[in-house]
Amino acid sequence: MPALYRASFGYLLRHPWQLALALLGICIGVAVIVAVDLANESSRRAFLLSMDAVNGEATHQITGGPSGVEESLYTELRVEHGIRSIAPVVAGYIRYQDTVLRLLGVDIFAEREFRNYSLLGSSEQSIVETGSDNDSAINVTTRILTTPGTLLVSGSTAGRLGLEIGERFKLLAAGKEQDALLAGFFALQEEGRLDNLLITDIANAQQWLGMHGKLTRIDVRVTDQTPELVERLEDVLPQNVQLTSAAGRTQSTLDMTSAFMTNLTAMSLLALLIGIFLIYNSVAFAVLQRRALIGVLRAIGLTRRQTFSLILLEGVMLGITGAVLGLLCGIWLGEQLLQLVARTISDHYFVVNVTGVSVAPASVVKGFAAGLGATVLAAAVPAFEASSYQPRLAMTRSVLEHRVGHSLPAVTAAGLTGAFLAMFILAFSGHNLVAGLVALFLLILGFALLIPIAVRTAARVLAPAAGRLLGTSGKLAVSGIGTSLSRTGVAIVALAVAVSATVGVSVMVDSFRASVNEWLGNTLRSDIYVGVPGGSFDPELLDDLLAIPGIEHHSTSRRTWLESESGRLRLIVLQMAPGSYAGTAIREGDPEEVWRAFDMQGAVLVSDAYAYRHDVGRGDTVSFKTGNGDRAFRVAAVFQSYDSNDGAILMSRRTYDIFFDDPRIDSLGIYLEEDADIDRVMQDIRQLGAGRQALALNSNARIREISLDIFDRTFIITDVLYWLAVGVAVIGILGAMLALQLERARELAVLRAIGMTPGQMAGMVTMQTGFIGVLSGVAAIPLGIIMAWVLIAVINRRAFGWEMDMIIEPGVLLTSLALAIGAALVAGLYPARRAATARPALAMREE
Amino acid sequence: MKKNSKKEVLVAVLITFITVIILRSLEVSAPGPEVAAPLSASSRLSELLGDAGREGYAQAIDSRRFTFPADHGPHPEFRNEWWYVTGNLDSDTGRRFGFELTIFRFSLTPQAVDASTSNSAWRSNQVYIGHFALTDAAKRQFHVAQRFSRGSLGLAGAVAQPFRVWLDDWSITGTRSSGPVVAEYKFGLPWKLQAGDGEISLNLTLTPRKAPVLNGVDGLSQKAAAEGNASYYYSITRLRTDGTIRIGDEELLVSGLSWLDREWGSSALSAEQQGWDWYALQLSDGSDLMFYNLRRNDGSQDIHSAGTLTMADGSSVYLSGEDLEIEVLDTWNSPHGGQYPMAWQITAPLHELNLRVDPVLDAQELITTVRYWEGAVDVTGTRGESPITGRGYVELTGYADPDMLP
Repeated sequence: MPALYRASFGYLLRHPWQLALALLGICIGVAVIVAVDLANESSRRAFLLSMDAVNGEATHQITGGPSGVEESLYTELRVEHGIRSIAPVVAGYIRYQDTVLRLLGVDIFAEREFRNYSLLGSSEQSIVETGSDNDSAINVTTRILTTPGTLLVSGSTAGRLGLEIGERFKLLAAGKEQDALLAGFFALQEEGRLDNLLITDIANAQQWLGMHGKLTRIDVRVTDQTPELVERLEDVLPQNVQLTSAAGRTQSTLDMTSAFMTNLTAMSLLALLIGIFLIYNSVAFAVLQRRALIGVLRAIGLTRRQTFSLILLEGVMLGITGAVLGLLCGIWLGEQLLQLVARTISDHYFVVNVTGVSVAPASVVKGFAAGLGATVLAAAVPAFEASSYQPRLAMTRSVLEHRVGHSLPAVTAAGLTGAFLAMFILAFSGHNLVAGLVALFLLILGFALLIPIAVRTAARVLAPAAGRLLGTSGKLAVSGIGTSLSRTGVAIVALAVAVSATVGVSVMVDSFRASVNEWLGNTLRSDIYVGVPGGSFDPELLDDLLAIPGIEHHSTSRRTWLESESGRLRLIVLQMAPGSYAGTAIREGDPEEVWRAFDMQGAVLVSDAYAYRHDVGRGDTVSFKTGNGDRAFRVAAVFQSYDSNDGAILMSRRTYDIFFDDPRIDSLGIYLEEDADIDRVMQDIRQLGAGRQALALNSNARIREISLDIFDRTFIITDVLYWLAVGVAVIGILGAMLALQLERARELAVLRAIGMTPGQMAGMVTMQTGFIGVLSGVAAIPLGIIMAWVLIAVINRRAFGWEMDMIIEPGVLLTSLALAIGAALVAGLYPARRAATARPALAMREE
Repeated sequence: MKKNSKKEVLVAVLITFITVIILRSLEVSAPGPEVAAPLSASSRLSELLGDAGREGYAQAIDSRRFTFPADHGPHPEFRNEWWYVTGNLDSDTGRRFGFELTIFRFSLTPQAVDASTSNSAWRSNQVYIGHFALTDAAKRQFHVAQRFSRGSLGLAGAVAQPFRVWLDDWSITGTRSSGPVVAEYKFGLPWKLQAGDGEISLNLTLTPRKAPVLNGVDGLSQKAAAEGNASYYYSITRLRTDGTIRIGDEELLVSGLSWLDREWGSSALSAEQQGWDWYALQLSDGSDLMFYNLRRNDGSQDIHSAGTLTMADGSSVYLSGEDLEIEVLDTWNSPHGGQYPMAWQITAPLHELNLRVDPVLDAQELITTVRYWEGAVDVTGTRGESPITGRGYVELTGYADPDMLP
């Protein structure tokens, strides 16, 4: 047997191109899976770790409405009720130069039980004894408590920001410039957990974030010794606050991103799926090329079982090597993807600071298993075929093509079944995203299995036409595709699936972008938008702003979060200007009536995503905790929105003021008088804000641009992934063409011998690959459109709740066709050159 | 040469201890060269509380007119201050208890925070620390708890009128008596004392049996020769105490006598100080003996050691170190390290007192961030020819080296 294996591997080594292509296919497939998994996991981990550091030992949190928790509640809990395992927190974000940092305002006396920061490598004595008289530890401590602006930061963050202990600097909090002093460093056991976190006294945080009298939350620590604490708290807490489990809250925040992450994983599986075609291709060719050898081996007594395991072992070895290479590439790729993923999460969900990819063993195992499993699966089919040959018959290729021809009806039937099953799943799986993705995959697989018969039919029908148009070599090229379906079929399928993915994704993104663009155009009615980054307007400044001449009307908005049983709800509070109403597209109902209910009767509107996710519609009610306890609000209508996938509730300022004690306004829409000069007004606003509050000032057009930028940024990842899929497919074609040519060397040699010139030979090969491209492209278009439909109507809807119209631009389809042909031609360059330069005599001497 | 009174050292230890607490909770590493050699507690204290530390604070220099109930309230212009209550109680079923509730106040800066610029009710230069201990003699158990808070937002604080000093749900509060104004109410008492931790809680009413007695010279307790190295110090040596102790589901009616010590100042301490032994004994003939014995590093008695003997009629006499002789009869080894003296023979020939003092329980060491022993004691002996008994509290510091737990 060792001799056999040597022969087997010797063969592979003698065909390094084929070996390399097979490895590359596995490698890319695994790399994409690992990369996406690592990027997802690292983002998730970074978020969890930061939540861990911030939550510390807290098991529960007391949270209030948009305005936070009254600080007097904390005193009441401690002093009246004697509850001690609680700590007040005032948290928010501030900006230092270009970095957004999380600010955590704490009471150091209450902290001891909660956030257990570790020593910074020095002994306790050294901490106490450290420093000269004028900057001793006591001074640091006293300063934290008594000097406004004193901060602590982790050493690594200070290093990155270029700050030193004792340094005074300016930072921007709630739009206002503040004086800060770095008093010292802190550290946690795990490096990086507290990156980009500033710790300050709670008084300071209140002052900077404008949260006078309020707390962001009260952390609660329930231990095994104090299980009754939850009940006690529930008894004494007022109606307008909520006690939630810290882990649950973290989870529900994280859950917002799960649809996004699932979609990424699905994309990576698509790459692996195409990778599987490729692996199958490579292994099948390796078997086919040795069919004579296998026939001989079988004839001299090699059993079927031995043949099977020989081929399978080859596959396993390829799989292991490819998967290991894939893991290495995947980790590198993961680092590149991570920034994109983190950026997208920060754009849409929550601020996540990821400093590096953390290679989780689970991701590695997953990627490796997927790569190896896919290879074994792909190798099992040819291995089974090889072992099932009659020894004598194994030597003839016609038998193989015959078999393929025979199995074609079964393949076609399987394809149809897959497609029907997919439709069935789509129809009956409700809102389930994973089921939607499974259906999508089944649909792709089903359609892919229909491609071979289409190719054979097309080749038969088109060969005579090709002959008339392009002469004998054209006819040979086209009919050759149909007659060597065992090789060309898989290559065409791989390319078609890859290209269809680009069609599907492009159509989806285009439709999405068009809908968003239209929506933005419709929604953005004001001439100028003014906001306060990370804060709300100083009321005096607001009055001054609105007094600027040239302003006809204004609308105000406040975006905030509500705590509810089912996680956080996004609440948008609007005070509309007369021109604003048309900016919100109502899905159903008489606008006049809807707006009256919204403005005057305390009704709310819910976004598409909210309506879909929570299954509520016009006339239903939504309930949540207000400043006056739990309240139900009638839904006057559903409105069109793409701005958050977890959905949003729209409430009028008037209603909000009744139910919440929170007068803050964080953005302003300004409508100018007809003859007002927009540049002058913007200039005036800037001047008013200077030195008082940093304002984000944008014209209508600019906001639109920014929104679309964020949109485009979100889909960079999609772009990257589908180009990788195309890459896999191109390699697949290259491999298929090379193998096809090697196999037909004798045939080609005969053609050369009977007078074909090298140019004609190259032309024929090029035509053949070109035709493969055409067939793939043509097959890809309907599949792509079906994919786009599934992505728009099923996947996006289920994942994000967004509703959009499908828009198919002919350009996308043409591009995809060109892409398919181009990819095939590129893949055909090398085989064409080889065909042209092959020496016929050598090839014919083989027999 | 600077010398110190017992509580100055305690203050120093506590200030160090606030720092340690704060730093340990945040693990701040301050800048500058790190001193590698471990330093003894005393040199650490002297470094932390050099004279520079009291700059800007009010000083106890002149004798003052004490007025009550105003002086029960806080004196934030001084750096440190405390309300110190200890007592011995019996339940109606005959079970013996001792308790300690101390609330310390510290100013972190001489200037109060300007509320108009701070914009946050949390901002404060006042820090409060509380110690609570309960000795259960029958079960031979000793329970300790400590708390910290800033003195703002109503979390902790002190108010003269209506009297209240509190930290979380621990408090000493003046009660408004609806009855006729009798002598014992005229100092703003009786007070309600509430404290607890976990399964244990204490709910007591304190009614004075004697007027406040001013220690030192008219309440100015000179600690060293230097001007300002002193504190204002008064005691109410005998408070009738009634109330309840709850331990788990068990609620016990208790009664007995308590002792209040009040002191405030801004002074510093010297390096020669090792620790002190403080005795507060309530005797069966109606007199109360307070004495603090300051120990120097070489083990000798500091000449500023002093005390007060308060008679049954409320009159008092100053005791100097020479008036008293104290002999240690036994020792106790703390399981956490350090050896404490544990039984004493105290004789005051001038006052014909000969007293033997024994702890109710050896293990009454407070394993708080600062380690010290503060426990209930029994007294037996004679005054002249007559037998005498008593109860009291003894405080022992500077025996556990270092004072800080790791």
